[in-house]
This record gives sequence, structure tokens and C-alpha cells, in this order.
Amino acid sequence: MSDGHFLELRGIHKRFGGVHALRGVDVTIDTGVAYHLLGENGCGKSTFIKIISGAHAPSEGEIVLDGQAHGELSPIQSLEAGIETVYQDLSLLPNLSVVENVALGDQLVSGNGRLMRLLNRRRLRETAREAIRNVGLEPTAKLLGTMVGDLPLAIRQRVAIARAIAADARLVIMDEPTTSLTRHEVDALIELVGKLLERDVAVLFVTHKLEECYRIGGQAIIFRDGECISQGPIADYSRAELSHLMTGRELDTMRYRKGTPQAEEVLRVEGASSGAAFEDVAFSLKAGEVLGITGLSDSGRNEVALALAGHQPLSAGHFEISGARVHLDSPADAIARGMGYVPEDRLSEGLFLQKSIYQNEVTLILDRLRGRGGIVDKRKGREAASKISEAMNLNTGNIDLPVSALSGGNQQRVLIGRWLSIEPKLLVLHGPTVGVDVGSKDTIYRAIQAMAERGIGLIIVSDDLPELLQNCDRILVMNRGRLVDELDAATTDENRIYQSMLGSANEAA
Amino acid sequence: MTMVQEMNDRSTPKRPEDKLTIWETLRRRPEMVTLTILVVICVAVSIINPNFLQPGSLIDMGRASVVTGLFALGVFAILAAGGIDVSFTAIAALTMYSLTKFVITVAPDLPMAAIIAIAVVAGALLGAVNGLLVHGLRVPSLIVTIGTQYLFRGILLAFVGTVWLMELPPQMTAFGKAALYQFQGANGVTVDLPAYFLIFPVVVGLAWFLFDRTLMGRAIFATGGNPEVAARLGYGQRVVHVFVFAFAGALAGLAGIIHVSATRMANPFDLVGTEIEVIAAVVLGGARITGGTGSVLGTVAGVLLITVVSNTLVLVGIPSTWQRLVVGAFILLAAAFFVRRKQKPKQRKAE
Repeated sequence: MSDGHFLELRGIHKRFGGVHALRGVDVTIDTGVAYHLLGENGCGKSTFIKIISGAHAPSEGEIVLDGQAHGELSPIQSLEAGIETVYQDLSLLPNLSVVENVALGDQLVSGNGRLMRLLNRRRLRETAREAIRNVGLEPTAKLLGTMVGDLPLAIRQRVAIARAIAADARLVIMDEPTTSLTRHEVDALIELVGKLLERDVAVLFVTHKLEECYRIGGQAIIFRDGECISQGPIADYSRAELSHLMTGRELDTMRYRKGTPQAEEVLRVEGASSGAAFEDVAFSLKAGEVLGITGLSDSGRNEVALALAGHQPLSAGHFEISGARVHLDSPADAIARGMGYVPEDRLSEGLFLQKSIYQNEVTLILDRLRGRGGIVDKRKGREAASKISEAMNLNTGNIDLPVSALSGGNQQRVLIGRWLSIEPKLLVLHGPTVGVDVGSKDTIYRAIQAMAERGIGLIIVSDDLPELLQNCDRILVMNRGRLVDELDAATTDENRIYQSMLGSANEAA
Repeated sequence: MTMVQEMNDRSTPKRPEDKLTIWETLRRRPEMVTLTILVVICVAVSIINPNFLQPGSLIDMGRASVVTGLFALGVFAILAAGGIDVSFTAIAALTMYSLTKFVITVAPDLPMAAIIAIAVVAGALLGAVNGLLVHGLRVPSLIVTIGTQYLFRGILLAFVGTVWLMELPPQMTAFGKAALYQFQGANGVTVDLPAYFLIFPVVVGLAWFLFDRTLMGRAIFATGGNPEVAARLGYGQRVVHVFVFAFAGALAGLAGIIHVSATRMANPFDLVGTEIEVIAAVVLGGARITGGTGSVLGTVAGVLLITVVSNTLVLVGIPSTWQRLVVGAFILLAAAFFVRRKQKPKQRKAE
């Protein structure tokens, strides 16, 4: 503790075979401070975290923990020192209760990982109660006994943080914690982070959302190509500076949308309602037009997207595609009518992760690839997949790579590219750049515009306002299940959209 | 969700918002459904045919459930950890036959307690082989245990023997015959409540303790819930894998020796082939084949349900050939119910 730093990484290198993932990183972490680890995918952020949490040993350099130098940390050493990592999957066990998820780790670590030991149920309960209270939840018997898999995501996240508190964490690492949260939930999480900081816990965020970094404040740690190229108070950097540092190039905030819609109408929605989710929604879309739909997460925007994809039949109203009335009962209906849908949660809804890029790209055209005797024509399929990879600017030459080996940005490109194979009339993109880094966003936006140029009508359902402003012709705003506003993306701004999203009756978020 | 914790929840004074709805209770404790069906069947059968309540038929069923029950508890442990085992009957057969032969030919004076202990240890070792293979080869446990089932059975038939052993060592015969209590049936026939029947409740108690009161029990469920996360959180996967398979093996060894003593002969062709019924019992008790769920109580209920169905259809005039039909229907119904249970009722926003 001589110099008072909690954790110091000095000259850390990490090589995986021929890949030099980290090239001499020096980072200092003190308790009670928030850190934001920023950088493009593949810049070494995950490797860095894994070295801190003991999952990887550095190839070179030293880790000074509480004044003691180590060549590497073991997972147990890291846990014992109070370093807790909340991964995107939250590391929760869905089939165990809240109590067990929060407090079992304490007994596991105190027994050094030995399993043949009695469980102290009372201590379990008390530890959990205390920790749950500390994350702003009421530790009722019902909550404590609930299986974590039955809880909504925002509560699960609190449970994960409660576990960190129960383990007397001194550094909590959060990997893209706000990716799938609604605005309210993000607010709640940020408040919670404040509480952690008050308890003199350090918090290290890995994130792509700059806006949240500014709100939380603290230190920015910026990585590029395996090096820490800048560290300092986040408030000292402008947005443009941050993205410049991360990508090494100037990122224009310019509009990607250059083209103009064609005259032909591809979609007309009239009086569409679906249960309590949305009501009397009406709009139209022209070929080659990019339409944005936004709103708070409970505004009905997600449900509209699902209805367009055929996941949720309408209870009233109808869709017209190129002038013909259609009834969509299933995703297959929608696909048959040339309506594509790229889901928000690409990992669980859209991709076959263990399968290759090729296999993922041809799933929609297997029918067409069927040759004599019903056997899939692989050569034709591979050609189609290669063409898509090229069109989507997928920067890997190998279409046999499993999709799980790709970065988030590339995965998203595979998913969007799949639709090119059927030349859809209409493509609904649900949160197209969620969890994607700045550089990948750029290529995804270019791909979106290229699709519009081909005459595909595009609908982007998103809460990323800059994204909508940069890419759309028009932006529709939903509030409490109704369309409340239609804005021209070229002339409006974020503030104007926010106001519509919140609505006058809603208390400000 | 564990049994005891739920009970604790219930005993603590509750605010109104704390109450669990019936639906939720069922969602959390599927074994209650199995228990309810069991009770309904028992009541219905005893109304139609009061003979059902005779000590004779009750004891018959109890006896029949001991071996299945021991197997089932072992299978439950493995299902809970996210695996499956179809080799336990082969373990039981190999252990019981080899051990009986060993006692007859080499150590006729070995006391019964030692025989049981050897059976348990030998079963555990064979089970541990399964565990090591599953962990080491990273092959799905279904494949591994299909392999070891053939292997263990092959060893038994090729190297140990294929002849029925009709003359058991006297201590084993005595163990099988020992009566805890004698009932005088209505027709004057005396029925024994066999002493070995006691082993089942004892093992049930031990299993409950293991799953609910030790860190290992929780580690087993954690592994069944999500093995990657469990490993990341520090639950040693190797220990868990070896443990559950050794546990099932130990119970299989025990069940084998009880089977021999109760039937008073050692038939090397016995037991193998009953795996599916045992797995069915465990699944009926609420354990999902995908792991991480179920309870000891549910497993016992599942075993009793299968036993009752198998033994009472005749009593109410349904031909015994219908047995499979009924069990099959139950399994499908239970599966349908547990799938529904997983999909939560849509929670509409209060506003």
C-alpha cells in the first residue's frame, strides 16, 4: 500500500500465438473512482479485463495489487482481492435463487473452493439481505426466493452487483452493462454506480456508449491496437477527440443518408393495433426510403417491429405491401412477402453461432439452392455467401469461420447481409448497432445506405438518436403505444426527438 | 429452488405483497403436482378397490420402489448437474453379480455390512469412471454412459459369468428376509415389512441433506444451470462431474445388492433395460432433462407414482398391458406442464 494505489498494471504484454493483443499497457486503478475503458472491438479491452480477473496470464509485465507485485493473478487471488467482473451474461445462475446467487460465492471463496462443506443457510440469507438492500431493492422473502432466471434483466443486473457487494468487492468490472437496458434502467444503474463509488469501490466500465461515460464521470482509459494511448478525466475529452483516439481517424458526424426515396410505395400500415402494446399506428414507406422509429422502450416501438416481422399478429388494422393487403401470421409469412427482420438480440435470435459464415448467410435461400434430388448446391451457396460478405465489407476472407469467432460488428454484418440473399422489398432493422464499436458502426451505416440505393425500403427501430439522425429520411416517434410525431431527420435534432419521446404528460426521465 | 428454503420462506411472517400465488407456487415446486396426482390416484384406487389399502399390497409397492428409488436418486443427481446416465443399471448388475460370486467362492464369511460397503464403494468407483470420461473427453454424458453401459455389461458377461446364482450366501438371504414388522393380512396370511426397506428413507434423507445443506449440492445445481458460469464462479467442474456420477454409481451398487438379497438370486441379465423407467420417474418428479431443476422430494414422488401406476392398474380392473400407455401419457402431460411452467404468464404493466 506504499503508494496507495489499489491496482497497478505495468508494461503488460499479451501474446496469443502470433497475435500481439496487448503491447505494453500501463494502467493505475484507485478505489472509489469510475473508469471507462474505451476502444474499438479487438483493441485488447477484453484481454485486459481477463488479465485483471485472472483468466489470462500476461506474457510480460507485472501486476501490483495492494502494493504487492505479481507476475500474474489466479482467478481466486483476483476474487480474494475483491475484483469482481460482471460480464454481459452477468455470470448469474438462472436456476438458483437470488439468495444463492448473491451469497454462495462468499462461502465458496472462504472455503477456498472446496465443495464438500456444509452450507451456512443463515449466513447465506443475512449476507444476501444486506447486499440486496445495498443495491436499492427490498429484500422480501419473495424476491430472495425467486429464481434469477425469472427476473427482468434490470433486476438481474442489480443482483449481479449485489453479489459483487456481498463479496466485498473493491473493483467491479462491468462489461457493456447498459447494452440491453431501457433509459430508466440505465438511470437506475448509474445511480447504483454512484453508491458503489461512495462505498469506495472502483468501477471499471467497458462500453461503447460515450454519453453514459460523460454522465458517470471519472477517468477515461483509451485503448487502440493493444496499447493504452490515453488516460485522463473523461470530462477533458470531447466526443470527437474520443472517437478520434479510439479509431485513429476522424469520424464525421455527417449524415450517411444522401439518397432520396423512389416514388413507389412498398409498405402502408393502417390502423394497426396489437393488444395493449400499440394502437392505431399508421404510416407508409417508399422504396429506397430509410424510416426511423423510436420511443422509450415501453412505447410500443419494439412491438411494431415484431409485428412487421410477423412475430406478433395484429389485433386490428392491416399492412399493405406494394398495394396488396397482407396478413402476417408468422415470420415465414413475412419472409415470403419479401419483408426481412434483423432482430435486436442477434446472439439469441438471429445467428447460428457455432455455424460458419457461409451457413449463416444461406439460411434464407436453402430452398433456391436445392439442386437435383433436393441436395443443396454448395458451390452456388458459397458463391452467394462470398458475394454477401463482399457487399457487407466483412473483413475476413474466410467464409468457413464460425460466426462465434467474429467481433460483434462483423456478426451484425453477417446478420444484415443474410437478407441481401433474398433481395427483400422491406427490411426492418431492430437496434442495428447495439453493442457494436464505432468503426463497425460506420460500415453498417454504409451498408444500410447501399441497401436503400438498391431500392429496398428500410425501417430502423432504435433508441440511438444520432444513428437515426444520420441515416433516416423521416423519424417516427412513439409514446405509450401511439405514433405521436413525425420528423424530418435532416432538419430535426436530438432534443426535439427526446421531447416527443417523453411526451408532455410523462414525468421527465 | 430448494425445498427447505421455500419452507423457510413460508414460515417467515409475510407482508401481503409477499404472498405467492398458487400458480407461482406450482411453478416453483413442480413436485407438488406429482404429489397431488399420486394422492388422487391412491384415493381413487382405494375407493374402487379397498384391497389397495391392505398391508400386503402396500408393502409390495414399497418393496418394488426401493431399487427404483435408489436408482432414481442417483439419476436425479446427474440430471440436476445437467447430465444423463444410462449405465447405472449395468453398474448395479456388474457389482451385484461379481460381489455375490466373490462372497460365495472366496469369502463366504464376509459380514453383510461389509458386503454392502463393498457394493457401495465398487459402484462409486465405476461411476467415477463415467464422471472422469465425461469431464475428460468433453463428450455428452449420454454417449459416454451408453458406451460404459455396454462396457460394464460386456465385462460382466464375458469375464465374470452368465450363470444364475441361485444359492446365495446365507448372510445375504438373511438380509433379504429380515423383517422389520409382520402384518397379519385379512386372509390370514402374514406379510413381512422387510428391514432393507428402511435403507430407502435413510438414503432419501442423506440425499436431501446433500443437495440442500452442502455446498456440493448447490454446486451440482449451479453446474446444471449453466456450466460455463459455474466454472467461472469457482465451482470446480471436475469435482462436480466425478461426484455426481460416483454418487449415482454408489447408489446403483447398493440397489444391486438389495435387489439380489430381495429376489434371493443373482441373475446377470437382470436390471439392465430398466433405465428408461427410472429416468421417467425422475422426470415425472419435476427434474428437467436439461439440468438444474428438480428436488429429492419430487424424485421420490415420481418413483412412487410410477410404482403405484404399475401395481394398481390390475386392482382397478385395467389390464396390466395398459401400464405403459398410462405411464407414457403421464410423462407427456408432465412434460407439457413443465414447458408451460417455464413460460411465465405475461406480466402486463400495472399502469
